[in-house]
Amino acid sequence: MKQSRLKMYLSYGLIGGLMGYVVARIGFGDYDELHQMFVLDDLRMLYAFAGAVALSMLAFILLARRIPKPEKFFQPGTVPGSMLFGFGWAVCGACPSMVFVQLGAGKIPAVMTMVGILLGVYLHKKAHARYFRWDTGTCVSD
Amino acid sequence: MAYWPWWLGALALGGVSIGYFLLIGKLLGVSGSWAKVVGWKEDRELGRSAAELEQADEGEIENALLAATLAEFGASAMDEKTPGQDASEPEEDVPTASTTVSYTPWTAHLIFLLAMFGGGLIAALTSGQFELEFQLSDTHSRIFGGPLEIWLSLLFGGMMVGFGTQMAGGCTSGHGLSGCSRLIPASLLSTVVFMLSAIGLSLLMEASIA
Repeated sequence: MKQSRLKMYLSYGLIGGLMGYVVARIGFGDYDELHQMFVLDDLRMLYAFAGAVALSMLAFILLARRIPKPEKFFQPGTVPGSMLFGFGWAVCGACPSMVFVQLGAGKIPAVMTMVGILLGVYLHKKAHARYFRWDTGTCVSD
Repeated sequence: MAYWPWWLGALALGGVSIGYFLLIGKLLGVSGSWAKVVGWKEDRELGRSAAELEQADEGEIENALLAATLAEFGASAMDEKTPGQDASEPEEDVPTASTTVSYTPWTAHLIFLLAMFGGGLIAALTSGQFELEFQLSDTHSRIFGGPLEIWLSLLFGGMMVGFGTQMAGGCTSGHGLSGCSRLIPASLLSTVVFMLSAIGLSLLMEASIA
């Protein structure tokens, strides 16, 4: 394996592990905590999220010149996709990263959530190739 | 052990978002990683052609382009002046930092996702929250009822999350963290819509068990 390839794997592993740890310690993997936020009883996690956005904003302003141009733009799927995601999140308590944190905390049924997400992503890939064909400007641009 | 206070969570999560950019050189987006892992076959092909393109020297690519142009349009197309020959015109095909995106293999994204499981496991073990459970949580069971309903709700919830995030082109991290922090309009809209949808449905679910 090339040195650069190994370094890339280590980088992705390191930041992934860190993210899993942080998300778990905030409580995003806990359905009870999440539900408390969604019914507006306890906004602690919402503040944590908003604070993280504010911090990132500050950093990205300082680093602005190095950041590639945004590849996210309005497309037909933005609103219906986000609605579907919001409903699903309220039901299974997992966004695409939190499911791993739920599994890490020992929640066995989260296996179903993971199967569901895999199926959903796969179905979208098929539906997109066959029917939609619009540019979704996914998170990863390569 | 209790969860972190909001300010510590904000510092740490902000650190992850910034750290991802500094370490990887791209913006954090977990649903994008999912897409790469699920589309691993296409990604492998992409990787092969990227490697070929890297190995082929420029003359080889130029010759191939020339041959393809001749085959498609005939020799007459070559008589016309090409833009590159005019010295006053700027060269168009010079790759700049913003147009060339380095290729990341899907395996790196798989490692990223699996590492999140590892991080979550370590967090649960070290904070005493680890517990093998056959339900997601007490509240979740109260809303959905028996084991069958729980497992089905998770399967369909997961499918909605998977399909929805791909359709929207991002999730909590891609639209919420990376997009909102750069004030990208589509991300702001997406974040408002998915938060309001989740809040609306949760309030309904809460009302149904009250």
